[in-house]
Amino acid sequence: MNRFRNSLATRVVVSTVLLSLAAFWLAGSALFNNLSSGVKRVKTESAISEFRATSFGLQYEFILANANDKLIQKAIDDVAKAATLTGSQELAVVASPNTNLSKSNFSKQTDYANLKLIPKNLQKKVQKSSGIKWDYATNGKSIIVGEKIRIPNNGNYELYVFYSLANQEATNSLILNALLLTGLALLFLIALTTWLVVRQVVSPVREAARTAEQLTAGDLGQRMEVEGEDELARLGNAFNEMADSLQKQITRLENLSLVQQRFVSDVSHELRTPLTTIRLASAVIDGAKESFEPTVARSAQLLMSQLDRFERLLEDLLEISRFDAEVAVLEAIDFDLGSMIKNVVDELQFPARELQTEIRYSQPMQPVVIKADIRRVSRILRNLLSNAIDHSNGKPVEVNLVHNEDTVAIGVRDFGEGFDKDVARRVFDRFWRADPSRSRVHGGTGLGLSISLEDARLHNGELEAFAEPNKGAHFVLTLPRKAGDEISGRLIKLQY
Amino acid sequence: MPKVLVVDDDQDLAEMLGIVITGAGMDVEIVGRGDEAVSAFQENNPDLILLDLMLPGIDGIEVCKQIRQISMVPIVMLTAKGDSQDVVAGLEAGADDYIVKPFPHPAELIARIRTRLRRVTPSNTGAIKIGDLQVDLVSHEVLRDGKKISLTRLEFELLAALLKDPGRVFSREALLSEVWGYHHSTDTRLVNVHVQRLRSKVERDPENPELILTVRGVGYRAGRPN
Repeated sequence: MNRFRNSLATRVVVSTVLLSLAAFWLAGSALFNNLSSGVKRVKTESAISEFRATSFGLQYEFILANANDKLIQKAIDDVAKAATLTGSQELAVVASPNTNLSKSNFSKQTDYANLKLIPKNLQKKVQKSSGIKWDYATNGKSIIVGEKIRIPNNGNYELYVFYSLANQEATNSLILNALLLTGLALLFLIALTTWLVVRQVVSPVREAARTAEQLTAGDLGQRMEVEGEDELARLGNAFNEMADSLQKQITRLENLSLVQQRFVSDVSHELRTPLTTIRLASAVIDGAKESFEPTVARSAQLLMSQLDRFERLLEDLLEISRFDAEVAVLEAIDFDLGSMIKNVVDELQFPARELQTEIRYSQPMQPVVIKADIRRVSRILRNLLSNAIDHSNGKPVEVNLVHNEDTVAIGVRDFGEGFDKDVARRVFDRFWRADPSRSRVHGGTGLGLSISLEDARLHNGELEAFAEPNKGAHFVLTLPRKAGDEISGRLIKLQY
Repeated sequence: MPKVLVVDDDQDLAEMLGIVITGAGMDVEIVGRGDEAVSAFQENNPDLILLDLMLPGIDGIEVCKQIRQISMVPIVMLTAKGDSQDVVAGLEAGADDYIVKPFPHPAELIARIRTRLRRVTPSNTGAIKIGDLQVDLVSHEVLRDGKKISLTRLEFELLAALLKDPGRVFSREALLSEVWGYHHSTDTRLVNVHVQRLRSKVERDPENPELILTVRGVGYRAGRPN
């Protein structure tokens, strides 16, 4: 059934065969009926003429017998014997109802002549009038021909001869067999022809489908083989042109990506050398700041801190470019997430204390080993946690770790200023700030959450945010245990 | 006063490096082209070379190879890229260590230079014989069949670190801390490349080492001395 639906060739062949079968059936049965009735008619005509000769011969004998009973009986016996000798005839001489049988009875029937097979109608017609009458036996296996005959000085008799139709039956079945055989052979030929024709049409279509599948799988060099100039060749040419244009577009995009990638690497190189010089210079200036006037000393300090910020911004921009150029590489190793979180929390204790914010985190007793890029995961967490500390308003910040067999989730929640739904939608946008006028204590680059989201997605994980104004914000990072696997749902509910 | 040769084509950076290194109490010579580096080395006979990888003339890796043919002076590469291939190529060409630009603080650069310049405190055990190799920990000489094998100072320190406790397995991280002075680094390429370099000098068949053995998944150990 599946094959019928999936293969055009099978469908066409099957319907052609079914239709031809119906046509053959109609034509075949008409032909057979014609032939078999023709055969019967011929048989009937020959039976009648044979009967005429037999009947005439018998009545001639009667006349010659000149009322001699013995001779009459002999003539009847001879005819009966001749009939049985043919092997296909039986004969019966039946006395008509009003014949007086007291003198002598010439009734006679051969061994296999069964009088019950004579149709009543035929008997009536024979008795009523002279002349040859015929009909099929009641069992249909023979033709019965009859005539009224008169035996001189005795009375009326009826002569019946049964002509067997066995030969005709054989002929009929021969015809039937021939018809069936021819029909089957023709059906087979039609099926074969249809299949061949359909294949000629279908195989290029199949090849097109196969080539398209390979193209989809990324093998851009695949083309169809095109022969001749018919409609199918046009299909093939059109298909190949489409593939050419696709390949061109993709190659162009790939080149673009390469250019982008090279640009990122060049920018990185070209910017780093002057940045190194500036860094060294500012460090030297910073080292001598005791001897400066207060305003100059403050300027030197600002120079240093802005340089830090500039460098972070450069690093973040390069990182984002790597994601955009799709050249970010995941370096997954096995590590204990519990202690990684502990390290990040410890690292951020200092800025947290400055803002009188308590970080609450209880490391699980058992290690929670995951396979991920530790640099990226700790960067995400550092980012979420320092954001939470920045916006905590001195209230505690909670870090939660939940895990099952194939997924881990880290929730970072603060109870500070929070933000509304519109903000939650845009919080991962690049350079987006909830309140442009707000002062930034720790001077983030505005790219932190965008990078975190990309980092999470690189692992096939998710990073989501939920918050309410003046109640706080909740960020949840969900990661597969093994980078790249599917996550099995959300282990931490995104709610306030 | 130790002398440092700075090879960098960026004049401003080279000058700045000069100021920082001079400030740390060392002499500095600056050369801006790769093809002038070798002759500058021969003229000045520095105690350490700070070598940029991207140079006009010939590139830093080639400079490194040429200097290694005539001297075992410590070489620290400066690389603007975090490009893994460049780092490995430089290390294989004979550099001892590398610094990625921009480094966070000049103090880091100075510390790196000082580590490479430090003299290993002479061991009181004197000479160790391992296989057919004779290692003199006092004079920093390595002899095979009475013939001297020349090692860079870093290669010698790596060998000495392993020989300090023969048979004990040193993790790559432990060696990074012991020999390079890194306490949190996980860049095990430094160790791997230098072990390969050391083997190519001291092993009879570097493909089947008998003196410096790899312990899979852990690190390296020296063969037992006889």
